Amino acid sequence: MLGKLQKCVELGEKLGAGFVEARFDDLTLRTLYRVNGTWKDIILRSRAGVGVVCYYGGASGYSFTSSDDHEELEQTVNKAFKMAKASARAVSLKLDFDRKPSVKSQRADTFQVKIHPQAENLGYKTELVNRTVEKAQESGKNITNIMGLYGELHGRKLFTNSEGSVVDWNFEIVDLQCRVTSKTASGDLVNGAGRAGGTVGLEHFNTEGSTPEDIGNEAGAHAKEQLKARPCPAGVFRALIENRLAGVLAHESFGHLSEGDFVVVGGSPLAGKIGARLGTEHATIIDYGTPNISELGGLWLPYDDQGVKANETTILDAGILKHYLHSRGTAHHLHQEPTGNCRAVHFGFVPIPRMTNTYFAPGDLTKEEALELLNTGVYAIQTLGGQVEGDGSFLFKAIRGYWVQNGKIKEPLREVSLSGNILDLLSKVEGATRDLSIHAGYFGGCGKSGQAPLPCGLGGPELVIGEVRFGGKAS
Amino acid sequence: MEYENLKNALLSNVDMGLKYASTVDRNAEFELYLFYQQRTLVNITQGVVDAADGIVEGNAVRVAKQNRLSFASSSGISIERIKRSVNEAVASLRSVSIKDTRFKRFCEPKKPGKEGAFTDKILNLGKEELIEIANGMVKEAQDFDKRIHTVGSECAAEWGGFAVGNTLGLQQASRSAINRCEVYCIAVAGEERRTAWEADVTRERLIKTSGVGVEAARKAVNLLGAQKLNKTTVLPTIWSPVAAAAYVVAGLGQAASGEHVVEGRSPIADKLGKEVGNPKLTITDNGQSPSGVNTDAIDAEGHPQQKTTLIAKGELSQFVFDTYYAHIYGSESTGNCARHSRPFGSTLPYETSPSILPKNMEVEPGRKSLDDLIASIDGQAILIVDTPIGIFHSNVATGEFSAVAQSVFLVEKGEKKFPLQPVSVSGNFYAGLRQLLAVGDDLEKTIFAVETPTLIFDGFSIVG
Repeated sequence: MLGKLQKCVELGEKLGAGFVEARFDDLTLRTLYRVNGTWKDIILRSRAGVGVVCYYGGASGYSFTSSDDHEELEQTVNKAFKMAKASARAVSLKLDFDRKPSVKSQRADTFQVKIHPQAENLGYKTELVNRTVEKAQESGKNITNIMGLYGELHGRKLFTNSEGSVVDWNFEIVDLQCRVTSKTASGDLVNGAGRAGGTVGLEHFNTEGSTPEDIGNEAGAHAKEQLKARPCPAGVFRALIENRLAGVLAHESFGHLSEGDFVVVGGSPLAGKIGARLGTEHATIIDYGTPNISELGGLWLPYDDQGVKANETTILDAGILKHYLHSRGTAHHLHQEPTGNCRAVHFGFVPIPRMTNTYFAPGDLTKEEALELLNTGVYAIQTLGGQVEGDGSFLFKAIRGYWVQNGKIKEPLREVSLSGNILDLLSKVEGATRDLSIHAGYFGGCGKSGQAPLPCGLGGPELVIGEVRFGGKAS
Repeated sequence: MEYENLKNALLSNVDMGLKYASTVDRNAEFELYLFYQQRTLVNITQGVVDAADGIVEGNAVRVAKQNRLSFASSSGISIERIKRSVNEAVASLRSVSIKDTRFKRFCEPKKPGKEGAFTDKILNLGKEELIEIANGMVKEAQDFDKRIHTVGSECAAEWGGFAVGNTLGLQQASRSAINRCEVYCIAVAGEERRTAWEADVTRERLIKTSGVGVEAARKAVNLLGAQKLNKTTVLPTIWSPVAAAAYVVAGLGQAASGEHVVEGRSPIADKLGKEVGNPKLTITDNGQSPSGVNTDAIDAEGHPQQKTTLIAKGELSQFVFDTYYAHIYGSESTGNCARHSRPFGSTLPYETSPSILPKNMEVEPGRKSLDDLIASIDGQAILIVDTPIGIFHSNVATGEFSAVAQSVFLVEKGEKKFPLQPVSVSGNFYAGLRQLLAVGDDLEKTIFAVETPTLIFDGFSIVG
């Protein structure tokens, strides 16, 4: 396949492109989905295709095909070049970049797991889901629905370009989840959830806290606790934000605004603010494609889809904006180094600046000290995702929470939503706990410019925030 | 592949695929889905141009045998790729003995419905024209006002189709061509940044080449000078058509799905024939609306698409089903099988196993204009003119939502006063249907495949 990609590059250059990138994905996706006693989905997807980017006159053109036939590949290169040439007439902000020495990946770039998903049969995986659902069933008669999900995504990613780079590695991610819905005495439905996953082998589901029983128990127990939870009050309160939710904050609320394509066009409120203080000394945000997965968890991404090696990028350093997340073009335009953040959700899309693992750096508080610092407010836990707009407005959801009074957890709260403007919020981070964890999975993922769901890692310690707007029930 | 012969080409491969499948396992039932789409897309933001042109094609196979079911898909629609999916689906089926006793059969052959409106002008919409249109939209937005700081526009033309066949003798196909554009603007005054967008999505004509950029810019500029509401309270909320459409999709769009009903996740599952909303409320799902973007002759498993009344004068009339969940519920399919699970569709639909989604929802308009509705407000209300962020992160089971409405105005004593800084709006989707105060006459097609006028709800919590 490498030879075919190299021919694509040669053809693009011959047509007149100043630079050409060609990549091939050959991925396998497995989804298992059980609802109550029924297997709703047993799915296997084979996703293979070629994508070609031609650069011409400061513009780029992209085309793709699911075929590896010689004629189809030629047509794909032709289309990409014609798109680039047509676009060049309209371009006024050029995102060229300098040539660099070629990049060659190593065998060791692929993360090695003990039990690769390919090594186990389907029965082994359905049993993981069954054990999860069966454990959740033990959590009471109020349960109306239990969903057990298993997902795996793995396969080869091959890349070459006009510099002669050859990047050849294998992506891998697995996920095991349980979601429980229960009915309260008044007829309201409430939820609980548990999950474990990331770039790990199936041996991960034998470790304490991540076994199918642990996951099922977590979902069931929380749904049970939610039966007596009250709606979160509406208003502005102090908040303690749990690790996974801190990750959503880092990703949705800040990470997207630091993506180079938003910055170069002035669409991000972070444009032109390198060196500016945007947060307190407790707010440090990092994006890193190859974190210490065995200790922290997360997703392994040694290269992006432009063949750039993963970087540990400190975006916000103790409140000071230091760096953006880049493609090669946005990095060159903003006089920064590429960060290994140019990714595409699949071969049908051109790579654009995206996050890898984005997380807040840990602080020095213990859990007890964090609750004490919070004093009175909302402790928001687990995530249902979130969204940010170009002006920095954000909204994100926690699956559940607690009302904390004088440093003591008082009562459970139902689904909690937090909103505000990220630049305001970062100036109100009062402290962070010592425990850092990063979370990633097969289900869900990041969406941008129609490209979803892209697997990303996110995380952090627990954060104490002085003031957050909570949507809920106004009295 | 040409548009004219697309259906025949897809059906021919479906036929070959099914013949092959029967040689792999003569006693199994098979369903084969093929998808083909040409996509051309141009994005221009502040002079940066991104353009893509390609073909999305793939196949999916479902196999059923003695109450066991499996699904496999692969990129491409050649007979070799179809064989790969057949073999993988059969291998999955043989490797585990997991039964789905609720499965009865695949979709039985029926006379198809009609394809939606079509203009061959979309087929001829090339990259050069899309670039020109996108550039024009950027320019008109930039020229509208000096405070317009950032403008992005995206234009796309897509055409293609899908075919479904199964071993019950069903072999049907449907085609469509859609073009769309969207303009996104940021207006800046000092430290204040306000965003707005405008879009045009259509299948029966070419997209507007002017006016979309101006409208996006006007919306963004009108939001400047926003004041703080500065209180936590309960107020009536006036949802403009695009905001109301998001509300309808995120709420009823999920709760009316036969899957959520059967699986115990829909809070309106036991409300059929009962009042669930204000008598002013009538909502249908029209899979045969000629201009609906999701209109096809058949749904994603080959059943004819149709029109289904969901709520009639406040009373819950019907849920939407595919064949699988209709059998379990004891009903008939309503032609709502889909190959994606989100309101925005899927970039590779063939990879998704069948699910249930409304096709084109329509809210029956009332008789009052937006001005009359605003004039009818005695005290204060919040006018929401764009899609609140986070509205689609809501939970079907609880119905509880909390979203941030960024594009909002204060309405007071019958008048639209001034823009507000973003407010959070919280409540319950289903309670909201009962708390509906009024329905406007300003019916509008939106990008969410919902046609709705302005809706006014009472009882939602506002934090500003």
